[in-house]
Amino acid sequence: MISQSLMLVQISLRNLLASKLNLLIGGLLLMGTFFFVFFGALLDTLSDSMSKSVVGSVAGHIQIYSSKSKDELSLYGSMGGDPDLTAITEFPKIKAALETLPNVKTVVPMGTSAALITSGNTVDLTLERLRELYKQRDGKSTNPSAVKLSPEEAAKQIESQKGHVRQIVKVLQGDTEKAGVMLDESKTDADAKAALTKVAGDEFWQNFEADPYASMEFLENKIAPQVTDGSLMFLRYVGTDLDTFQKSFDRMEIIDGQRVPEGRRGFLIAKFFYEEFMKLKNARRLDKIKDGLATGTRTIAADADLQRFVKENSQQTRELVLQLDSIKTTDAVGRLQKLLGDDKESDLGTLLARFFTMTDENFAVRYAWFYSDLAPLLELYRVRVGDTLTIKAFTRSGYVKSVNVKVYGTFSFTGIEKSPLAGQISLMDLMSFRDLYGYLTSDNTEELKQLKANTAAKDVTREGAEEALFGEGTNNVVAEATPGLIDEKKELSGVAKILRQEDLIRRVYNQKEIEGGVVLNAAVILKDGRTIEETIKQINALSEQQGLSIKAISWQQAAGMLGQVINFIKGLLLGFVAVLFLLAMIVINNAVMMATLQRTQTFGTLRAIGAQRPFVLQMVLIESVVLGLVFGAAGMLLGTIAVAVVGKVGIPAFNDYLYFFFSGPKLLPVLNAWNLLVAIVLVLIATTVSTLIPAINATRVSPLAAMQADE
Amino acid sequence: MAAIVSIRDVVKEYNLGKVVVPALRGVSLEVDKGEFISIAGPSGSGKTTLLNLIGCVDTATRGSVEVAGQNTGTLSERQLTSLRLDTIGFIFQSFNLVSVLTVFQNVEFPLLLQNRLSKSERKARVMQLLEQVGLATHQKHRPNELSGGQRQRVAVARALVTEPQIVLADEPTANLDSVTGQAIIDLMRSLNEQKGTTFIFSTHDYKVMQHANAVVQLADGKITGRETPERAAASMLGHAPKPVLAVAP
Repeated sequence: MISQSLMLVQISLRNLLASKLNLLIGGLLLMGTFFFVFFGALLDTLSDSMSKSVVGSVAGHIQIYSSKSKDELSLYGSMGGDPDLTAITEFPKIKAALETLPNVKTVVPMGTSAALITSGNTVDLTLERLRELYKQRDGKSTNPSAVKLSPEEAAKQIESQKGHVRQIVKVLQGDTEKAGVMLDESKTDADAKAALTKVAGDEFWQNFEADPYASMEFLENKIAPQVTDGSLMFLRYVGTDLDTFQKSFDRMEIIDGQRVPEGRRGFLIAKFFYEEFMKLKNARRLDKIKDGLATGTRTIAADADLQRFVKENSQQTRELVLQLDSIKTTDAVGRLQKLLGDDKESDLGTLLARFFTMTDENFAVRYAWFYSDLAPLLELYRVRVGDTLTIKAFTRSGYVKSVNVKVYGTFSFTGIEKSPLAGQISLMDLMSFRDLYGYLTSDNTEELKQLKANTAAKDVTREGAEEALFGEGTNNVVAEATPGLIDEKKELSGVAKILRQEDLIRRVYNQKEIEGGVVLNAAVILKDGRTIEETIKQINALSEQQGLSIKAISWQQAAGMLGQVINFIKGLLLGFVAVLFLLAMIVINNAVMMATLQRTQTFGTLRAIGAQRPFVLQMVLIESVVLGLVFGAAGMLLGTIAVAVVGKVGIPAFNDYLYFFFSGPKLLPVLNAWNLLVAIVLVLIATTVSTLIPAINATRVSPLAAMQADE
Repeated sequence: MAAIVSIRDVVKEYNLGKVVVPALRGVSLEVDKGEFISIAGPSGSGKTTLLNLIGCVDTATRGSVEVAGQNTGTLSERQLTSLRLDTIGFIFQSFNLVSVLTVFQNVEFPLLLQNRLSKSERKARVMQLLEQVGLATHQKHRPNELSGGQRQRVAVARALVTEPQIVLADEPTANLDSVTGQAIIDLMRSLNEQKGTTFIFSTHDYKVMQHANAVVQLADGKITGRETPERAAASMLGHAPKPVLAVAP
């Protein structure tokens, strides 16, 4: 029996190269297995690294949200804006329940949203500093962290800030003149122009000290709106229990500043976002040029993008000019003159334009000089670590609410620092988040309680509302409603004081307070990330059983469209491989059919000399299977080699989004044994199925066929 | 001597669409063990059909065919196949060797189908036959590396390797030149004498017929006579007006 099979295998091996058609079939099978193994490995690795990016940055393995929600949770936002989620009010109960599941490590409460924040423009910022200086001089300052200045120092700084404003006015006047040349004179706003002329004149500044506050108000109202460098920024953030978050997402790393102290309110800006959107644009462009040059393949001389950065830098120096007050301007001019070896040119804008006109030769020196000599004079970031950020958002009921949160630092996730998707999401404490969206926090619950107590308000049921309001009962409300009876100041004292933002920033919340309020969703971190689907089932079952009203979804679903991308690509690959195999099957079917016809005499002979039908069936099938195995194995081998080579070299993330998908600068595909197995099984199925009919036909060849003359 | 093949009143008809073509019309023939018989006749006389019936690759429309004591009309296809494997050896006009197998493997093939002998027994049997047909040194050659005569000798060895009772050869020399053909017939004859194997072969070459003990003449699907080779040859060449079985005046 073994000898028989060996002989059959030998026959098929020798028949393999006998026909050119076999080579075509083999080629198709080879390609199919190659694609399956190579791209399968690529996609699996991609899926893995993407899961690292998503799971490791914000999603956790599983996300839960209220099952009563109208929309599905989508962490990175979706087409129609933020999903409409019903708030989870009993988070501690849910957390406790979920943590009884063996695979659940921890549950991190969250709320994801986005808001527009405006960074004030240069005039606003300068005037704010000026106002603070005057307040200090006049002993009216409310800023506890202000440094006490000597009267001489204060006067000097006031003069410098005023000089700064005058410089801004000069730049603005230049702009208006340029605009006047291009536009019809009548189109420019006469009022704005008059204000500018007034402020540009000496008279305004001579009279400034007479009423500095009025003068500053004039500047704020008439000049600041003309400066257009302030910008709106779309900030996406997750409100979360920062302590648990920092502990659970261990790839998170503080880059600037520090962690938000335990239990405090605070904000951490994603480093990528901080660099990309909050940094001084000229500095950001210098960084990008440096990154470009660091690849070793790009040069300013040859790369259009780098040239564009250089051009934009030398043309857009206004932001820098506006930032510098008169003292700093003189300083900067001096330093630039020295660097450029030109002591005649004294216009800062011209000097900067010349400085930023960089070439491959002088870039390294000028880049270093920018950060060592010029940057200390500038505000490199619109928001500094330690600043308080005002975030405005629409609450769920539609009114605008704003909170002030202190920025403690910036952070990124190791491995995906450059990813714009992971780097888009900043972090906020849950209390501020709840405030911002009009949910009750422990603070305003307390406030409400005190208000109720002080105003003798009481809960009224719907049924009893009429009676309570119109006084059928013992309380004669009308008689007691004397004007001035409620002293607002008195009622709100205490609570109002506690609620002052400064104090809120310093307040330390305990875990019960943090978890006790509303959350929108929560990340479930698992001990074993491989059994996500199973755990989702357990969570959903638990929710059903205990009436938790939550729904669990995988990180992939939570990532919304992003998570589907990988499935989409996988589908494409499978489709492609399926088409290849289908094609192979059709060709195999035809080829074997033809081969059977050609070999009628052989089959007849075999039958005549005593081979039973199953033997012939075996013979044809084994031939196809051997064909499949040989070329399939070749395809697998090629695929394996390709994976190994690419796995060593890596596919570079040539754009920032790939950084996220690759979970790092390179994708290093790893071979998946499962893919090899599936590939070979597919090949075997394809060859067997497509050969079955011709093989059965071959068994029907009569031994009489052997008697026909000539092969 | 006992008959190894016994054919009685056999009719074989082929249905070609609506037309029924008779190939054999009432043939009876007995072949004894150890005979070396030639079936002769012009093309279309039914030689091959008769051989196919004896070789169990076809069955009769009417009448009975008994091979090695078994009535082939009552056997299943599977049983017929087994009967062929164990009882009959085939030598084909165009050799019909498996081109991808070596000489040795081609000869060994029926033994593998039988699956009765061990590897060493098979080897001994195959080598012995290859010696006898004079191809021991060519055992590792492929058929396309051999001449026509050598190929037919391989086929002879293959037909004999299972030690069958009957060897059927359909025009074994048709594709060979006369000298080579002669050599093949000599080989068959000597094997017939050594082993006592019954040989039945068809031919229309009177020189080949000379070697047979008897020549069965077929014409138009009927046996016209069973003669000595000399007479048969003479009648084919038109020199012998009197057939042996004709009744003398």
